[in-house]
Amino acid sequence: MKSWHRYTITLLGGLAVGLGAAWALTNGGLGDGAIRNGPWTTSLGYGTKATDPLTRAMVARSGLLALPARETIYWMAKTDASGAPLDGNCRYSLSGTPLDARWWSVTVYNDTGYLVDNPAGVWSVNGANVALDAKGAWRVVISPDKPADAAWLPGIKGEPFQLTLRMYNPGAAFRADPAKAALPKIVKEGC
Amino acid sequence: MRNWLGPLAFGLILAAVSTWAAIGAIPYGLMNVAMERLGQGGINTMSHGNLATPARQPVVRPSPDLAYSSCPYDLSGGPLAIDVTPVPGRYSSLSIFDAATDVIFVRNDVEAQGKPFRIVVARDGQAVPAGAEVVRTTHDRGIALVRLLLKDPKEIGGLNAVRRQSTCATVTKLK
Repeated sequence: MKSWHRYTITLLGGLAVGLGAAWALTNGGLGDGAIRNGPWTTSLGYGTKATDPLTRAMVARSGLLALPARETIYWMAKTDASGAPLDGNCRYSLSGTPLDARWWSVTVYNDTGYLVDNPAGVWSVNGANVALDAKGAWRVVISPDKPADAAWLPGIKGEPFQLTLRMYNPGAAFRADPAKAALPKIVKEGC
Repeated sequence: MRNWLGPLAFGLILAAVSTWAAIGAIPYGLMNVAMERLGQGGINTMSHGNLATPARQPVVRPSPDLAYSSCPYDLSGGPLAIDVTPVPGRYSSLSIFDAATDVIFVRNDVEAQGKPFRIVVARDGQAVPAGAEVVRTTHDRGIALVRLLLKDPKEIGGLNAVRRQSTCATVTKLK
């Protein structure tokens, strides 16, 4: 084998490894943010100049055109409260109290971050359309089929899914300690 | 085996350099794709998109609760003027992103005190109209995005007229 053959082989190998590594390293999505709160994760560094090149590339891949934290905090959950991956064939209770923000919403995406069709044409719940009970709490059911006894947020039948919680203009108290704030609970009720 | 030491070292260095270069290039590449997809109505023009649905998702993780208006811009022909008209009593914001996907400006309706405002985006050294509120950037290209919150998707019909009052255009007159 000639010397330039060896260099050609390692050139192609090096490029393949390098580009593959870049893709894999930036694949974490918003979920690999620095702040954890139960199954929810976020980073307060999104949408700012201060983010390092790796975070910037990760955000560009999973949340292009995201707003900075002062404007919107984006939380992502890929698992339920017990740590099990969210499964579109299962039924989950999503519940909480009104969040410390001017407005909030929870949206169901597939595992690449896109909306998937469902018979109700509904992909999110928000602070303006959830009903509060006597104790001031709200609850919806995420399930493949419409539940008889609760407000429905359609899951993605036959696929894993993710939730994104958006909090617009979060309160100062919330921003001071987002890891300890009360966020919606995601509890599996059955499959 | 000794013949491979040079090539292997070369391959390893190349792998490290290409990882670093690709991570740096990803935001620019994705911004170009987003400008292409959002720029159907033209560059330096505000397009008022339909609400996000499974059939219409120009960027990743679109919110189905927001009406997005977008202005993909290119400052190579001069600064850009963006006019935004908030809708009373509900969240709206203007955010401006540069070619590296960084946010260079954000203002919401509360900060604007509910009043219409104009922002001029210009590169360093470009002449701008006197008295204008200017955002300077080191890149030619990017996207300006107006988000308008809907309590219900059906509201879009009633809000369309006020939404269309938000515009963008290349600055041609400096006075």
